[in-house]
This record gives sequence, structure tokens and C-alpha cells, in this order.
Amino acid sequence: MLNDVTFGQYYPVNSFTHKSDPRIKLLALIAYIVALFLAKNFYSLALCFIVLSLGIIFSRVPLLKVLRSIKAILVIMIFTAVLNLLFHGGQNLLWQWWKIKIYLEGVIFTIFFSLRLLFLVMGSALLTLTTTPVALTDGVESLLKPLTWIRFPVRALALIMSIALRFIPTLIDETNRIISAQKARGSDFESGNIFKRIKAVIPVLIPLLISAFRRAEELGDAMDARCYTGSNKRTKYKKLKFGWRDLLIFLLFASLIAGVVLLNIYAYDIYPEIYVYIRLR
Amino acid sequence: MEEEIAVRFSNVAFSYPEGDGAPALRGINFTVRRGEFLSVIGHNGSGKSTLARLVNGLLVASEGEISVFGMNPADDKAAREIRKRVGIVFQNPDNQMVASIVEDDVAFGPENICVPREEISKRIDWALEAVGMSEFRHSTPTRLSGGQKQRIAIAGVLAVKPDILILDESTAMLDPRGRREVTDVVSRLNREEGITIILITHFMEEALLADRTIVLNRGEIALSGTPEEIFGNGELLETFNLSLPRITAISRGLRAAGMDVKDVLRPEQLAAEIERNFAKSGKIPCKNPPFLPPAEPAGGEWDIDINHLSFTYSRKSPFATRALNDVTLRIAEGEFFGVIGHTGSGKSTLIQHLNALIKLPQAQKHYKKPKAKKGKPAPVVSGIRVGRFDLSDRKCPFRELRASVGMVFQYPEYQLFAESVFEDVAFALKNFKKDLSREETERYVRESIEVVGLNYEEVKDKSPFDLSGGQKRRVAIAGVIVAKPEILVLDEPAAGLDPAGKREIMSLLHRLHGDWCKTVVIVSHDMDEVAENCTRAAVISDGKLWACGHPAQLFSRADELVALGLDVPLTAKISALLNKSGIEINSDLTAEDFTRKTIEIYGGAPDA
Repeated sequence: MLNDVTFGQYYPVNSFTHKSDPRIKLLALIAYIVALFLAKNFYSLALCFIVLSLGIIFSRVPLLKVLRSIKAILVIMIFTAVLNLLFHGGQNLLWQWWKIKIYLEGVIFTIFFSLRLLFLVMGSALLTLTTTPVALTDGVESLLKPLTWIRFPVRALALIMSIALRFIPTLIDETNRIISAQKARGSDFESGNIFKRIKAVIPVLIPLLISAFRRAEELGDAMDARCYTGSNKRTKYKKLKFGWRDLLIFLLFASLIAGVVLLNIYAYDIYPEIYVYIRLR
Repeated sequence: MEEEIAVRFSNVAFSYPEGDGAPALRGINFTVRRGEFLSVIGHNGSGKSTLARLVNGLLVASEGEISVFGMNPADDKAAREIRKRVGIVFQNPDNQMVASIVEDDVAFGPENICVPREEISKRIDWALEAVGMSEFRHSTPTRLSGGQKQRIAIAGVLAVKPDILILDESTAMLDPRGRREVTDVVSRLNREEGITIILITHFMEEALLADRTIVLNRGEIALSGTPEEIFGNGELLETFNLSLPRITAISRGLRAAGMDVKDVLRPEQLAAEIERNFAKSGKIPCKNPPFLPPAEPAGGEWDIDINHLSFTYSRKSPFATRALNDVTLRIAEGEFFGVIGHTGSGKSTLIQHLNALIKLPQAQKHYKKPKAKKGKPAPVVSGIRVGRFDLSDRKCPFRELRASVGMVFQYPEYQLFAESVFEDVAFALKNFKKDLSREETERYVRESIEVVGLNYEEVKDKSPFDLSGGQKRRVAIAGVIVAKPEILVLDEPAAGLDPAGKREIMSLLHRLHGDWCKTVVIVSHDMDEVAENCTRAAVISDGKLWACGHPAQLFSRADELVALGLDVPLTAKISALLNKSGIEINSDLTAEDFTRKTIEIYGGAPDA
């Protein structure tokens, strides 16, 4: 049974990471991603990894949960890794079979690239694991606030997101109910070829659509009745507050970027490292 | 000084543009005073909801004049002002909430009218306090019960600080406990905060709470007066598609037998009336022979046997909830069986097991037999048998089972999908009986449409979405019974219908029971419905089987049932009250039998 449990990945525990401001977490994630892409060598990548580990440790989310988020992009990761491995040129040939050549540079680049992707996904997952969708919406709204200057409907956009979040569990419940009802009338969703299965979805989709429209209409009436006019001129009840946690996170990520930049300047590029390796041999 | 008149309708008419031209309302004249509690009743489609929407300008009258605190809701600017002063709570609590956290949702209204932040916080405090939901301020509405959600919706409306609160069938989707929660809140708001209430409802007990009642019939005000005046006039009500209240039916029966009983509205009053009669003729204390419930049905080929059924949703997750806990139950062939329980008690989970919509763990693909641990008793394994089907067997022919156990869900009209009524009804046939000839299919469909009381030739080519609410429900039921199931299971078949519609659905089920299906199982919130119709019933509470037996046996434990958040039928209430004054009337708790037994004791004996 699908229900609001499977929706979103939020992992409900009380931790440092959970309690910090969603805006700073969003900004931190952006800083982290920038740092990852700035990173030119394994030293700066290691620095990113340290920051990521701190985030995971202080979130009290089991490591397995964070790792599970890779599942979604595992195929892409392997695919790109294989491509990189096969087509990355270089000078130190390691292995050759027919026209396939694998170079040392390719191996190193693949490792580097895969790690970067891995850290990226784990970092993003950490945000959704420790921040409720609602808090995330509030954060996005607050960060987009400057756009109201160019008359961008930030409040309306945030309201749309909030309503969407609010109705996801309701519509999932509804879908389950309709699926059950049609199963009770003999619908078969589990066997048959692809066409049969698509056809089996119609008796679920139509009632679901009709119900969604009905709900939308009723919600519209209810919102009208509660004095909603659609204008940007509304007060905002919820205010996000920066705390000491957020200051710490800010400092941490500021130093991360600084660290990555410094390491990029003063340490080797990933390719020169290969020559270090060769010279040692 | 503020106006004394809150709402005034003069000669108002309204027609929906997409309708068939017939006005939804016409010639409406009434006024609501400040601080008044008005209830509005009427059959489905009588124009009640239209009335509510006219008050705050969601709809605009086609004729006549409406004035709300001296303002005209047809004017856009005035409508905005009016909406600050008139709040509406709608039927479905799910479709009124915009936010996933209670306080954010309550804040929505005040945000819209630009209330400063500190003030919003105060208003949330006050509104949640007023509906008794303060502790849920940071909860997620989807996790609350229906009654709680509806109270949040009321809080959301209250936070705008309206002078008038309109409830548009706001209790129709709630269980007895939820209904009580909402009506208590509404009555208190009227009494303590002086908020004017317009309560639109199907339930007579709720209409009784008001100072004044308006009866709508086909878009016109048919009656208006105090609830006592209105409900004292039973025959007239019946002609407006509202049933004669059960209590009036009883008092009339008693009067016909020579008892001096006035028409009253509340069980306490009727009990007092009966007691007065008994006291006058010196018959207290008295009792009749205890009611002997019929022997447990012998059963037959199509018995349902449920053994130690337990079920947990989202197992092994932080959100795991136990829905059923060791339920053992037998429903014999030929019964009209009731399942009672508040929302979330597990009764829907229970019935979904009956046709394997929820499969037993043993019947699932990746089932591992639990290992018996040393020193602990062997784990209990759930089992269900329905007729010849063993639902714990992975090889059980589940499709055949589903053809034999028809399942009608709550609000079944929401699962209609086909282009024509014929196609929709034939859907189950095409799934279950693939080799049926065209003539046979047509015959089956015709029979089932006719048995639910619709005209086959008239409706077969219509789109199911063009039918009225009651007709849609019938089509949906036809779409299940068309496969000729042996057992028919219905989850709240009469929910949301007006009294006449309820009565029709119940008589339809009796028509089906016996001729069409051997066994009928209904889930119901309406205790009177269960008492009047069921041969036996089971009470499910917090996933456990609380009791099972004849309704008369179950409802004799009135106090316990109320503590569980359920209700008891009217007859049980009166019997319990009379019992306290030494008049012990034992009946099977149908209104008819209760009346007969009362008359018997009173003076039905040959010497009297």
C-alpha cells in the first residue's frame, strides 16, 4: 500500500542538521556543489568528503539511508563510468583488447568523476532527508523573495508548491482506493502484455482525474471563502530564524570553498599526479 | 449600533448556467438575526449548498436581493468584506486545507486579510483553543481523524474572526464521534462567542440544536419554524423526501395503541413520556421476558471464517501502524451482517481482506515462514476462508474469489469511469466472465440496472457523470452486483445521502439479500441502520474485535459503546433510560419491535 509514508524521504529524528534553517541548508548545498565542481584534485575532493561526513554524522541519519539515495542514479553512474573508462585517452596504456584501450589516466579520471557524482548525490539526499518538504518550500520562498521586485509571483508560487505537497498524500490515498475498487471489479494490473496493462490503467486514471478536478474546484471555493484574492499583498505568518547552528554551517561551507580553491592552487592537478605515480615506479 | 439583521434574502432565485434551466433556488425569503443558530435541512439537490454560496458571493443570485450586514454580495468589493465576516466550512475536510501543517493552514485566512504576524499567532492560539485542537498545532492534517480535520477547518475559518459561521454539510463524512466533536464546537461558539450559525445538515439530531430550522424542498422554502414545530410535523417532512424521524414514528405508534404520548424530539423526553404513562397506571416496576437473540446461524457453503487476523501497515518503518489485532470472526451464509467501528478502527482493513484486496502474508510472493523462537509460543498465523476459497493459500484463484465476493467501496460513484452507464456496469462482467455472449452480457447488465431501481432503457446510453448523486451510487452498485457475487460487502453504502436516499439504499440491499446475493456485509456508522437491518454485527475498536452478536446484545452496553466513540440506536437510548426508572423493556431494538413490546407491557395483555 502506498501512503504518505513512502512520499518524500524525510527521516524524522531530532538532530543538528534537522534543526538548522532550511535556507542555510539550501545555500550550503549550493556551496557544496560549487566546491565539488571547483575541485581539481583528490585533496580538495577529500575536503568535500570531510564536510559531507560531518553533515551525515550530525544528522543522525543512518549511513545506509543516505547511500540508498544512489539507487536512483546508479545506472547513470555506471554508464558514465564505463564510457569514461573506455574513451578517455592518455599516455599510459594499462590494458588492451582488440580496439579497446584502457589508460591509467582514464582509470583515475573515472574514479575522480564517479566520486564527485557520488558525493553530489549524497549531499543532495542529505538535504531532503533532514528537511521536510514544507520547510524546503519555505526556504525556497524566502530565498526567492528578492524576485518580488521584478513582480515575480513568489507567494503564489510558494502557495502552489505548498498545496501540491499537501495533496500528494491525499491523491495517493485516492489512487489506492480506486485501484482497490477496480480490482474488486476484476481489473488486473499485474498480468498481460504492456498494452493490456496500459488499458487496465484507464479505469483508474479517469476517476482519479475527475476527482482531482472536483477537489480543485472545492479547494478553490474554500480558498475564496477564506478571503484569498491571489494578490501578492499578504502577510506571512511563518518567519525563518537564523541561529547559532546556521552561523556554524555558514562558516563551515565558507571554509570549504576557500579550502578547495587553495588546494586547487597549491596542490597537483589530477593528471600531474599520474606522473608522480609513474616517477615513483 | 451594529445591525441586528445579519442576513436577509428577499425573493432570491438562482439557476446554474450549465443546468437544465430549472432554478436551483426560487422565491427565497428569510432573515437571520445576529447571534441566531439556524439549521437548514432538505433533500439532496434541494439547493442547500447553493444557499450557502450565495451568502458570501461565491455564487451570485439571478434574481432578488441579498443583504449581508447591509452589503450586497453580488458586488465584488462588498463580497471581499463579507467574506471577512462570513466563514464557510465545507463538506470534505481534505479539500479545504492548503498547508501540510495545522498552524500554517489556520494562518492562511489571516494572511490573506493582511493581519500582522504577532496578531496571527494570537489568532491561531485562540482559534485552535476554541475548537479544542491546541495540542495539534504542529501536526500534519493528513494524520488526523475526520472530526479533528474538520475542527481544524473550522479553526481556519474562525481565525478570520467571522461573525457568521456557515457549515455546509460539514458532518456528512464523519463518524458519530467526529460529528459530536463538530456539533459541540459549533454550539459552544454560538453560545459563548455569540457567533451566528447557519448549519446545513441531513441529520435531524443536529438540526435540533438550532433555534430555528428552515426546510428546503426543490429550491423553495417549504417550512420554517422552531425545530419542535418542524419535526412535530412528520408527515409533511416525509413528502419533502426527509424521513419521519424515528422517534416520531415510535411516539405515534404508542399513541395509536392508546398511550398518552406527545410528539417529542429527544430520547429523554420520550422516555419521560412513557414513564409518565406507566406511572399513571401504576405499572412500575415492570418487565417483559428478556429478549432472546436467535440462535447463531447454522451457516452453509458460503461461510466466512476469519481466524486470528492481524495486519500492520508500513511494517518495519517508523510509521508502522497496527490496523488489526487478532480478529477472529465468523459470518455465516445468509446473514445481513454489520461491522461497526469509528474511523481508523480497522474495519475497512478487515473487509478488504475478504476478497484479498489485502492479501494474507502467506499468500504473498516473498513469504517467509516465521521461525518459532525458543521459549516463546509459536507465532499465531492469520487465516481466512471464504466459502471454498482458502485465502492463505498462494495458489488460491483470487479472480474467482473476487467474482464471488462483491465489494462496494465508500462513495462508489467516484470510481465510475466509462462513457456510458452500460459500459460501466458491464466492466466487471468483461473482467470476470470473458466468454459471455453479447446477448447474455446485455441481459445481465439489464437485470442489475433494474434491480437497483433504475430504468434500463433510459439510462443505459447516458454518461454516468450526467446522473444525479443517488443515481450514480446505484449505477456503481449495479457495476458490482452484475457479476452475481455470492457475498456482497459494502462500506458505508448510505453515506452522504439524505434520509430518503438512505432508506432506499437499505431497501435495495434487502431486495438483493436472498434473491441476488446470499450474504450481505455492511460497514456502517449509523447505529439505527444497523439495529433496523442487521441480523448480527461486530464492533471493531482499535483493531480488536470488541464484541460480536445480535444488535440488541451489542447495544445493551450503551455506556461502553459511547466511550469507544460510537453511538447507540435511539431505541437503545430510550430503553436504557426507562430501565433506570424500573421499566425494563426488552426488544430487538428495531423501532417496530420496541413499540410493540412497550404496548404489550403497558396494556396489551388481554385483561387491560
